[in-house]
Amino acid sequence: MRLLIIEDEPGIAGFLKDGLEEEYFAVDIAYDGKTGLDMALINEYDLIIVDWMIPALSGIEVCRQIRKSGNLVPILFLTAKDTLEDVVFGLDAGANDYIKKPFEFEELLARIRVQLRTKNKADDSLCAGSLCINPATHQVFSGSQEITLTPKEFALLEYLIRNKDRVCTRSRIIEHVWDIHFDSDTSVIDVYITFLRKKLDAAGAGNLIQTIRGVGYIVREPSVS
Amino acid sequence: MSMKPANPVKKRDFFFTDWSVMSLRNRIAFYYTIATAFLIALMFTSIYFMVESVVYRQFDDEIRHQISAILSESHISAHDFKGFDNIKEIDNENNDNDSDNDNDIGSRKKKKVNVDTDFVQLVNKNGEIVNKSTNLSWCSLAFNPNESGATFFNSHFEGSMVRQAQIPLINNQGITEGYLIFAVPVKNAIIVLNDLRAIFLFSFPVIILTLFVLTRLIAGKSIRPIEKVIATAEKMSQTNLDQRIPLPYHHDELYRLSATMNALLDRIEDAFKREKDFTANASHELKTPLSIVKGTLEVLVRKPREREHYESRIEFCLKELNRMARLIDQLLMLARHESNKINPRIEMIALYPHLESVIERMRLSASAKGIAITVDLTENDRIAADVGMLDMIFENILSNAIKYSPSGSSIAIVAERSANTLVCRISDQGIGIPEEKLVAIFERFYRVDESRNSGTGGFGLGLSIVKKLADLQQIKVSVSSKENIGTTFTLIFPDGATKTS
Repeated sequence: MRLLIIEDEPGIAGFLKDGLEEEYFAVDIAYDGKTGLDMALINEYDLIIVDWMIPALSGIEVCRQIRKSGNLVPILFLTAKDTLEDVVFGLDAGANDYIKKPFEFEELLARIRVQLRTKNKADDSLCAGSLCINPATHQVFSGSQEITLTPKEFALLEYLIRNKDRVCTRSRIIEHVWDIHFDSDTSVIDVYITFLRKKLDAAGAGNLIQTIRGVGYIVREPSVS
Repeated sequence: MSMKPANPVKKRDFFFTDWSVMSLRNRIAFYYTIATAFLIALMFTSIYFMVESVVYRQFDDEIRHQISAILSESHISAHDFKGFDNIKEIDNENNDNDSDNDNDIGSRKKKKVNVDTDFVQLVNKNGEIVNKSTNLSWCSLAFNPNESGATFFNSHFEGSMVRQAQIPLINNQGITEGYLIFAVPVKNAIIVLNDLRAIFLFSFPVIILTLFVLTRLIAGKSIRPIEKVIATAEKMSQTNLDQRIPLPYHHDELYRLSATMNALLDRIEDAFKREKDFTANASHELKTPLSIVKGTLEVLVRKPREREHYESRIEFCLKELNRMARLIDQLLMLARHESNKINPRIEMIALYPHLESVIERMRLSASAKGIAITVDLTENDRIAADVGMLDMIFENILSNAIKYSPSGSSIAIVAERSANTLVCRISDQGIGIPEEKLVAIFERFYRVDESRNSGTGGFGLGLSIVKKLADLQQIKVSVSSKENIGTTFTLIFPDGATKTS
């Protein structure tokens, strides 16, 4: 999952990036509103965290512009403005959630998971056939057997399963699993797919990940037969 | 003036209105009507009595005329009365026809007396009737024994009003022998007077009622702007202070009231906004370092890490905590000055050596950006100031100048004497301040950069400290600026307190 943080305080942006990357997110940072808006409109993010008071363009304006472009990406406001009016104003500008500074990092993570939670599902777990992954604990189970994955492998698998039954092109995989500093040599995907397939085979999860030649990869729900 | 909403009053009947909540409009109409009613009543009464007296004067003149006619006809002299014996007939010639009729019919006794004619009656000094006109038949005219002179009065006769005259008949020795009583009917006059009274009594309440309704309408129209003021004021609340009272067309008292209230609202809104900005800014300044430290440490303890990683993060947190400590120091200092608990220790000091030492302290940060500081002032310029406070003023202004100037530029400090004052200007070639933001820069926590980035500036307290300290020492501080050209701070040291030694 790839996140964009628009925050001008390097201290806050810094620990957010550290903490979120440890949670297997790919994280980009914009230090002002204008750059942040450009990045949000050009790249495809799974979630955006915006501070209200940022230079060049306020967080509110960034939020409005993103919504105006028809982009429905979840947006979290992260700000020191804490009056009721501010909260209402922020949410009305198009934000999905509003977190007041200072905040608990664990709470931020939980709120991010809520925004990424697939619709109509009671919990966060993602499944394809007998394979289930839990984004909160970063655990992967094939039936009752746990599979140990590296962060990148986990992020790749999570992305594929979230987009189950849809073809994930190589460029989209790069966009969502790796951050902006990664140059777009997509052959790295094949390497990680190979690692993943090996570990899944070993756990008896079979060939869940299928190759669409020349396009990308897909995870299909095994037909019940 | 009752400023309560007019609606509850309107609903009630006017006469049952509680007077304390009576609307201004009703009160104006009410007082005006009362005053006018009094005047109209006065006018009507005087007109009535004037008409009445004119009518009776005419009667009396006529009566006098007729009496003298009767007396001469009957050969009676009122001033040389010879006694009742030689008086045969005293009928008024005008009534001859009537009396002849009566004689012919010969039924005088029970016949109703015609009261539309004149009557004559003679009484002796004891009031006994001596003689009377035939038309009086069995009736007699009233005699008033208390009056000895000639009198005119109203009296009732046979159920109708008559005007009566009573003339004493005096003999040659000056003794009143009797009286001649003469009466004329006043029926027509009474009708006129009664009509007049009826008209007055009927028109009075109609006029007063119409007047009240009209006055109420006019008063209502003239104070309509007040209703607007009330409506606007009712719509207003702390969060909704942008409403303004629409100004009336005429430049009258209500216009001035509305304009004054609008100006007051401007000031209140401004104060609210400043208070709100202050809280928002203070909360940002305090919460940002707190969030950084808290978040960094939370992320740090989620997993075991290398020693170097711990050290770098803890150092980073310490830096943030130091920044927070500086902020708290400045806040406390402002708070102490705000409550005026610190009295400046004013002494005469030489400005130049003092300024030198401040610049020396700033030298490092200035030279790091390649900024030159030039000083142009007479070495023996002396000013009255508190050394510590003056230090802080110059430090804050200079550190701002360095912070917002491009590298390679210069900062000039110039002092010149003007009359009794010493004017000191500190000019930089920095980014400048937009004109609309100049007014606010001495506000606590105000920063031109609305994102309040900690990397590019302080807390926004420096200049408010400068202002506070300058105020305490009666130093006038002002600022002028042009964007991308530079900013100049001007300090004017107080009149008479500066001396050249």
